[in-house]
Amino acid sequence: MIAGENNGGGMPVPPLPEPPLVAEKLAKTYGDGEALIPVIADLSLTLEAGRIVSIVGPSGCGKTTLLNVLCGLLAPSGGEVRWYGRPLTSMPDGVGYMLQKDLLFPWRTAIANVMLGLEVKGMPTSEARERAHVLLDQLGLHGFETHYPSTLSGGMRQRVALARTLVNEPEVLLLDEPFASLDFQTKLVIEGDTARLVRNQHRSVLLITHDIEEAVSLSDRVVVLSHRPTRIRSSYDIELDGDRADMMAARESPNFSQYVRSIWADLDVGTA
Amino acid sequence: MRTTLDDKRSVGAAKRSWRMLPRGRQWREHILVLACQIGVLMIFLGLWEWATAQDRQTAFLFGSPSAIAGFLVQMWQDGSLLRDSWITGLETALGFVLGNVIGTILGLSLWYSRFVSRVVQPFIVALGSIPIIALAPIMIIWFGTGLASKVAMSTLSVVVVALLTSYKGAMSVDPDQINLMRTLGAKKSQIFRKLVVPASLTDIFAGLKLTVGFALIGAIIGEFMSSSEGLGHAIFKAGSLYIIPKVFAALVATIALALILAFLVGKLEQYLTPWREEV
Repeated sequence: MIAGENNGGGMPVPPLPEPPLVAEKLAKTYGDGEALIPVIADLSLTLEAGRIVSIVGPSGCGKTTLLNVLCGLLAPSGGEVRWYGRPLTSMPDGVGYMLQKDLLFPWRTAIANVMLGLEVKGMPTSEARERAHVLLDQLGLHGFETHYPSTLSGGMRQRVALARTLVNEPEVLLLDEPFASLDFQTKLVIEGDTARLVRNQHRSVLLITHDIEEAVSLSDRVVVLSHRPTRIRSSYDIELDGDRADMMAARESPNFSQYVRSIWADLDVGTA
Repeated sequence: MRTTLDDKRSVGAAKRSWRMLPRGRQWREHILVLACQIGVLMIFLGLWEWATAQDRQTAFLFGSPSAIAGFLVQMWQDGSLLRDSWITGLETALGFVLGNVIGTILGLSLWYSRFVSRVVQPFIVALGSIPIIALAPIMIIWFGTGLASKVAMSTLSVVVVALLTSYKGAMSVDPDQINLMRTLGAKKSQIFRKLVVPASLTDIFAGLKLTVGFALIGAIIGEFMSSSEGLGHAIFKAGSLYIIPKVFAALVATIALALILAFLVGKLEQYLTPWREEV
């Protein structure tokens, strides 16, 4: 539907809010002059409010480049990125960013790491501490607030990193393989926590991953990318039964293996 | 929320492995190492004493542990040991602090501008390659024969190393962490204060440990050139008079001074970087 369209002369329909993130005919080329390496070629993508969209692609297909272009850390060579309808000029507000590396500051305790973003914005320390505290409790880190990262396990560190991202209440989360270095059980638990928190608070998520099962079990839509130069090969709307914050239930859903098999075929790994 | 069993186990695994040894075994190993160190020192001193006791000429040329101890007692009794150590310690400490503060501020602030840092790089290398001892006569002319010239020498021997180590620390900050700060909306000054400075502390402290010795060398060289007090002065005077054991006695005091200063720097590091001593 087009924003502001009238339905047959009756009551005007309120304009549909712009989706959080739109990428249109995006291209990115590295190098200058003689040696041009096209990484992204003609990629269009929409992230609707409150949805979780996953991007899967063969390794080395420029997923991380795409994410950096989307959040303004890299300038695109062609096309346009729009956040809430506005062309991207600098780092967009209200975006949380989370990587495979937890990037915790070793000189800060768990809670001080979570407070980092609020501190940067100039929020009073007591209020920031309170909000960080609540979030750490929700993520099962009660009692670990004053621990330094070096004394936490990989799963706990990644949970602190998740809290550090969520405490700023970003409307959109850009996640770049945040669970890739975790063991299977820990991964399922943290994926579940993420899905629960994000869906309860109606945040939008763009998840980049190479894990097909993770993509299917977490997302509303899975976008499959091609080899370089990257285009969109296919896109699946995921419909699964049951609680969407339960990663095990998602896997037991009858459609689950069907999606995984189709996406695997699209990835075309065998012939690469 | 759930905290998996796995999480609780790996908290322990994150501790450094030697700390996992049972407490008793840890102590026994510690004492054994200490005993061996004392043993080696006793054997060395014993052989030295024995060799120099054979004839007077060897004793004259090499001193002997007993003669050194005798001079240490004598220097303690006439107050020169404490006074000289205090003077040299003061010069060293002032030069150490001054050189490190100036060097670290310059080195960290080079992080702000890649352009400026590229412009000044060759000058820093040039300054760093000057043998400090060659500057001593000029320092005496500029700052006189008192405390100031020694502090200047000490500062000079420290400042370039401090600059280079802190600059290296600032430049080796993980670019992903800088990106993280940018996505959190941090301004450059906030990235500097909240990320670059604390992240550089490890390298800065490595520099501090290195420069304790350099500061002391600078002060002693300054005293060699022209002075009326200090351990360097005592060493120079005793050497000129061929009183070898007294040279060694002053040297023992110098070593003790270096150890004390290194110990204080270690304590400061523990205090300022508690996350590395946690667990």
